[in-house]
Amino acid sequence: MAGRGRGRRTMSFSIDAVGINRGDSLPPSMQQPTPLFPVMEQKPLPLAGGEEAEYLLALKQEFRGAMRSLPCFIQPTAAHRGQSHFHLNCVLCQTLEKKEEQESSEEEEGEEKKKQEEEEAEGEEEYDEEEFEEETDYIMSYFDNGEDFGGDSDDNMDEAIY
Amino acid sequence: MTAQEVRLCGLLLREHFGEVVEKVGTHLLRSGAQNLRTIIHETGISLDLVKKSLCVLVQHGACVFSSGRKGPGSPTEYQASSDRILRILRYPRYIYTAKTLYGDTGEIIIEELLQRGHMTMSSNVKTVADRLTQNMEEGRSMDYSEVSSAFSNLVETHFLQRCPPLAGLGTTDASTPATPATPANPTTPATLATSATPASTTVPTPESFPDCYKVPHMTLIGRGKRQLSSEDGEEQRNAKKAKLDSDTHGDEGIYWQVNFERFHLHFRDQAIISAVANKLDQTSSEIVRTMLRMSEVTTSPTATCTKPLSANEIFRSLPSSYNIPRPILDQYLTLLVDDPMEFVGKAGESGGGMYVVNLHRALANLARATLESVVQERFGSRSARIFRLLLRKRHLEQKQVEDFAMIPAKEAKDMLYTLLSQNLVQLQEIPKTPDYAPSRTFYLYTVNQLPTARMLLQNCYKTVANLIERRLYETKESKRLLEKSQRIEAILASLQASGAEPEQLTEVEEMITAPEKQQLEALRLHINKLDSAENQE
Repeated sequence: MAGRGRGRRTMSFSIDAVGINRGDSLPPSMQQPTPLFPVMEQKPLPLAGGEEAEYLLALKQEFRGAMRSLPCFIQPTAAHRGQSHFHLNCVLCQTLEKKEEQESSEEEEGEEKKKQEEEEAEGEEEYDEEEFEEETDYIMSYFDNGEDFGGDSDDNMDEAIY
Repeated sequence: MTAQEVRLCGLLLREHFGEVVEKVGTHLLRSGAQNLRTIIHETGISLDLVKKSLCVLVQHGACVFSSGRKGPGSPTEYQASSDRILRILRYPRYIYTAKTLYGDTGEIIIEELLQRGHMTMSSNVKTVADRLTQNMEEGRSMDYSEVSSAFSNLVETHFLQRCPPLAGLGTTDASTPATPATPANPTTPATLATSATPASTTVPTPESFPDCYKVPHMTLIGRGKRQLSSEDGEEQRNAKKAKLDSDTHGDEGIYWQVNFERFHLHFRDQAIISAVANKLDQTSSEIVRTMLRMSEVTTSPTATCTKPLSANEIFRSLPSSYNIPRPILDQYLTLLVDDPMEFVGKAGESGGGMYVVNLHRALANLARATLESVVQERFGSRSARIFRLLLRKRHLEQKQVEDFAMIPAKEAKDMLYTLLSQNLVQLQEIPKTPDYAPSRTFYLYTVNQLPTARMLLQNCYKTVANLIERRLYETKESKRLLEKSQRIEAILASLQASGAEPEQLTEVEEMITAPEKQQLEALRLHINKLDSAENQE
């Protein structure tokens, strides 16, 4: 540790500046982490209740729910490969859609060709991998240990699975 | 556009429009005006998603586009404004106001218009009629003409306005008003003309077009349609089949939007009336309400006070349920004038006394009262006394504060320092000597009302953002539980609809255990509390 002189008792702060005088007791030591939220001297007022507030609350939640179902709510996965099936309500968006459809139809043709090529290449690679990984003559399902038997049921996760 | 505002706008955009729009919107808010290529490059989102997000933002009035800064040939630039996005917090209030003024029809018109941003009158009328018909009893449906008349009422009182058509990009002439041929893109009111470009004209407000509040002639005859339910054998229940062969109704290209400023004026009037009712009594608030109603049309939105009204006119226009004799009215008016909140002022003696409502002064006093109550609730009534003292006396030394507030010196010092550390109170130094030596300088405490109010407003924005985040967190944590309960409800509903026996119903209900039910209830309560706290902000 830097600043440790030979036998000299120096600290990184000077005693006078911090304000600890001789004979004063140190502040009580911390035995637990500081509280998560600061302590408030006064309690805050309760929320305004009443019929109007409840009605406003219901309106707000309905509005949010309705917005999610409108075409204005854009999901990141919606526009992959031009699959835009929703019809927005403004002229701009309609012309935009038409352009997109034209472009996407061109894109799709190009992409299909690409995909076919990729699959062929992958198929070859996979075949190579399999050969080199395990040189067996048996079908791979021979080595299954029955874990996947029974399938996953989506219905009731609370029922015990025997 | 502070960091808190940008954060809150991002959360609001996420809740209402999805994460893609949030990314684009916050990027625009942070970086100012940008063109399309820069946005794509800096956000890393694909072209069509960015285009769609910009469309959504423009449709809802949150974003504006104009020709580029480098002259008429440069690409268009997009600029977002945080004010418009922050209005989303007030949507429930707008809808509720429409309900109180124009009934259920008005409420649904405003709600549909807020959800979609801009709509033509015909599409709005159709959707509203369908929605109202859904909720009506069997065999009854809503006529389009009723909805149209409610729409026209809203336009007459200026709650709805037309979106102005955009000036052609690259041309310097102002566009002709209400040309149906051009796609009707809006321009927001000119609050963002800070980066004034030499080539473009100033941004026109929707009200600068003479046809702003003109209802178009529209041919739309028919009744609302009830949605077909999914079961077989149930016929469609509306009487008339609407004669909607073609989709055109004579008002293509004329889009309408909600006029927020008019709602804000209404809120302002409501605030003044309820303040008078709280401070004085119901009759005085009725008098002020009458005065405001009479001056609705004659007062401009930014006026400091209404046009002077004579006591005779007020007497004549009072609602008939308030049978107060003339001398009592005069007494009430005198009381209102003498009140320190200065709601009403006297402007002359003719006609039995000319009275005005001091709009700006009343609002400033209301803001001051809000500040005082914030200090009182957070720090106690003695700190509030000090705060009020400083508001009244402007600049005071520490010794004077102790004397005037009649609080012991040590406590007064403590409270003053707390207020100072919270930035509610400022220190003004007045030197006696040019070297600002502390022993020879006056230190005066003061309160600057406007910056303090702005700071509290930013605190409010931060609070709302925190509330929204907490709510999203709670929802995410209990997502599994919520999905399970939704599935159970769906199963129950389908079983009930297909006429299952009660045992099956109870069996299905028992699939969700009691502690889970409790957890769900607690969650619902928390979320409701958080939501209503947001509303209150």
